[in-house]
Amino acid sequence: MRRPDPDHHDGTADATPGGCDDARRPGELAFVVLLLLASLALLWSAYGISGFEALSAPGSVPMAATTAMVVTSMIVVLRTARLPRSAGETLRRDILPGVVVIFVLLLIAYALLLKPLGFLPTSGLFLMVSIRILSGRGWGFALTVSAGSLLAIWLIFRIVFTVLMPPGIVPEAEFIQIFRDLGAGGR
Amino acid sequence: MEVLTPLLTVFAEPQLLALVALGTFAGIYVGAIPGLSVTMAVSILISFTFTWDVYPAISLMIGIYMGGVYGGARTAILLNIPGAPSAIATALDGYPMARRGEAGTAIGVTTVMSCIGGFVGIGVLALAAPLVSDFALRFQPRDYMLLALLGILLVGSLSTGSLVKGIFAGALGIAIGAVGRDPLTFTERFTFDLQILEGGISFIAVMIGMFGVSEALLQLHHVDKPAIRQKIDRIVPSLATVRKHLPLSLQTSTIGVVIGALPGTGGDIAALMAYDHAKRVTKHPERPFGDGAMEGLVAPETANNAAVGGAFIPMMTLGIPGDAVTAIMIGALFIHGLNPGPMLMIDRPEMFWFIVGALLTANVFMLIFGLTGIKLFTRIVEMPRSVLIPLILLLSIVGAYAVNNSIADVYWMLGFGVFGYFLRHYGYPLGPVILGVILSRLLDDNWRRAIISEREDLGRFFAGIFSSPLSTVLFIGVVLIFVSQTPLWRRLKARVLRPSGT
Amino acid sequence: MKHVILSAVSVLAIGLGAAQAEDYPTKEIQGIIQWGAGGSTDTVMRSVTPHAEEALGGTIVMQNMTGAVGAIALNHVASSDPDGYTLLMGAENPLLYKVMGLGDKDYNDFVPVSILARGTPLVVANVDAPFDDYAEMVAYVKANPGEVRFGATGPGGLPSVITAMINTVEGELDVIAVPYDGDGPALTALQGGAVDVMPAVLGIAIEGIRAGTMKPLAVFDVAETDKLPGVPPVTAFNPAFETYLPWGPFFGVFAPKGTPDEVVAKLSDAYAQGVANPEFVELMENRGFELMGISGQEATDFLTKWQQGTTWLLQDGGHTKASPEEFGIARPGE
Repeated sequence: MRRPDPDHHDGTADATPGGCDDARRPGELAFVVLLLLASLALLWSAYGISGFEALSAPGSVPMAATTAMVVTSMIVVLRTARLPRSAGETLRRDILPGVVVIFVLLLIAYALLLKPLGFLPTSGLFLMVSIRILSGRGWGFALTVSAGSLLAIWLIFRIVFTVLMPPGIVPEAEFIQIFRDLGAGGR
Repeated sequence: MEVLTPLLTVFAEPQLLALVALGTFAGIYVGAIPGLSVTMAVSILISFTFTWDVYPAISLMIGIYMGGVYGGARTAILLNIPGAPSAIATALDGYPMARRGEAGTAIGVTTVMSCIGGFVGIGVLALAAPLVSDFALRFQPRDYMLLALLGILLVGSLSTGSLVKGIFAGALGIAIGAVGRDPLTFTERFTFDLQILEGGISFIAVMIGMFGVSEALLQLHHVDKPAIRQKIDRIVPSLATVRKHLPLSLQTSTIGVVIGALPGTGGDIAALMAYDHAKRVTKHPERPFGDGAMEGLVAPETANNAAVGGAFIPMMTLGIPGDAVTAIMIGALFIHGLNPGPMLMIDRPEMFWFIVGALLTANVFMLIFGLTGIKLFTRIVEMPRSVLIPLILLLSIVGAYAVNNSIADVYWMLGFGVFGYFLRHYGYPLGPVILGVILSRLLDDNWRRAIISEREDLGRFFAGIFSSPLSTVLFIGVVLIFVSQTPLWRRLKARVLRPSGT
Repeated sequence: MKHVILSAVSVLAIGLGAAQAEDYPTKEIQGIIQWGAGGSTDTVMRSVTPHAEEALGGTIVMQNMTGAVGAIALNHVASSDPDGYTLLMGAENPLLYKVMGLGDKDYNDFVPVSILARGTPLVVANVDAPFDDYAEMVAYVKANPGEVRFGATGPGGLPSVITAMINTVEGELDVIAVPYDGDGPALTALQGGAVDVMPAVLGIAIEGIRAGTMKPLAVFDVAETDKLPGVPPVTAFNPAFETYLPWGPFFGVFAPKGTPDEVVAKLSDAYAQGVANPEFVELMENRGFELMGISGQEATDFLTKWQQGTTWLLQDGGHTKASPEEFGIARPGE
């Protein structure tokens, strides 16, 4: 696999995973050990579904799958532990730069606020803050772009596809009804 | 005569023609946006077209279906985010092409190939529907199980990095697919007594998270890099290109029709199997697979559009849906006063030919709309990343919610997005995860059905496999492909071939 | 700026909300369908609701919410505001959730808006099966224990209830129950020969029977149905079934408990008109459904009776996780 920038492979395309075959990336060992532990926990959980009750028991395929996870993650842990650390890479710069951490936090905030605050305000805030951070341009730009795109998304999903996102504090349904009445009155 | 009149109904009435066109156009966009699915669009259309006549209603639905299956490829190529599960394989080679600035070429090829696949599917539907549906009905639970095993073996060709990591990813996918109440016995699996887990994890949510969110997070690494300028002068592929890929496209279309016609499997599995097939038969691709091989686009795109015609086969001949969309269409026919079932072809043959005609028209419109307006689409990738990334994230959230109107799915989507981000960094391929989730139910349910039918007796189970030619063929296929992927085989082959080869 | 609009809108909304139930509906109503798109519940709801909307003068937006055999949708609607703006569109199986250990809520947490229609069960067989009617089937199963495969759709599904009925009346039959995740896939398997016998609802099997791709063994009702002339009712083979019949799955629209009576009355009326619509009537008759359109006390009584009969049948057949007694479900006739 050829990479344009050998020091900072980004792993963008799925077919070209970002891992190194011959070196251990920062945090990789911890990650594969975590996966092994998680696989073990899942195997235990799968065993708990129905044990070795019958070939057709609901736990059979989950047990087979999690066993495969345990075996493969063990191999991966052993292989990874033997690899030399990759040179010139740090966790802060190559795996989790500040901006990624900020975005993960923003997404968590979004998930927490979505239900109480509602779709429109939460999404508006999210778009504005993130565009402001990434573009480095003024609030005016961020506000215009986010309002425009949010309106488009809302029209497509809420009006055309009638996806009922959590309304939260915005009385969406009443609002739509007013427009519907206006339309009906006009006719 | 009896065939020709209903077949040409669509062309005779401008209104129907316009509806097919509108549907196809809208379908391309529905398909391109991850989270908006054709299934969703068609079920909304049922209420929307409730008071219409049956012809206009079906015209619109067929347009959306055709366009939507094709549209999934757009975002897969441009953003590495498959718009629909059937476009996962398309991203593998389509996105590398876009990164070279060849998005226009890639979209052009997928359009023409989707159209070829579509025609093959419709052709089989029109000429051999009863034959194929008889064959599809013959699939027993054990055959579906073997088919699922065959699918699981695709992990090998979907993981370009380390095979061990690929197997891990596939097994993880199967486990994810098993979460929730088991549909056969209602036993809780991997729910940890949490109510949020009882309904399981929507695989669309997993897909959107793994591809959409993780991709957006990775793109954050180089917000400042200018977007790649896309060459869009050579969109329509040359005749020579089409001719070169014609044999492959006919083979993969056949895979598409058959998998599409089987009740229980659809375009997503068909596209992945076709990709695998292309990788096997193409000895010398111009570029390696995963780096922008044209064959990697041809195979899944022909297969998933051929699967559309395939899905109509059991629907029209038996009233059995070939996939989720045809299931809703059966409901639509019913609401419009028809009785979908084996008698439909006998009672109302004109309906069959009308649908064939509408599918043909939709396929042509797909070609037209697909090859025009690409400029607008490629603009999306040329948008500044500072706007594009937040929008991708928001669309992923809305899309995950829309699948099942569930906030839990949004949480899963975000969780798998962040998880996928780490998986990518550490060299785990994501394709096998999705493959595992797609195949999980197929494998699990049918394995259990098969072994229950044989009274939990493995001996009877294998006797059953060898008593049916279909099962035997599938079984041999599974064994051969499995052996060919193990290192032992490679060594053996090398030893056998060395003396004779120069 | 945004604030001003927001508060203006909310003032408007409060004003509208104050206008009480006479004006209902003042906004669109969410109809949560318990099953996936394309299923029979989905089809029935999507074909009756437009007629009800017309009578109601409002909009009902229908959403499919699947998962955990409908329990997710049920819990969602039960925990929403009882203001008549969230409705549950479901089928019969929530009445079995408690005894099946699938949840602690059922239709007792709801007010029935309308029980729309009822289906008639029947037992069909693969065309090549070595028996042609119900009596021959029972005899064959008894002569060949453990050989005949019955299609099933999981505990509490229609096939499990019918099978429990047969076992209670005829004594335990030794058959293999092959589970499918719905009657559609199971009937497909029946036509392909993976399953020999399948209890199903008339509506979904009728086209296959007409075309001769499956053969009817008996209708599970006390009398012959005019949809399938010549197919005897099961009581003709064994009158002991009369205790349990007529029985059948049903479709209904429900509002969370606590919804104002006037609102429920308006909705019930709208759905009653929807059910009476000739187009809907024709649609349902073609599919062999018995129209009901009942509401109020009549509907509540129907639900209670249905739950008592079915849960105790399953309990006596040993198919339940918990006894109906624990939930205060009385034995029928007590």
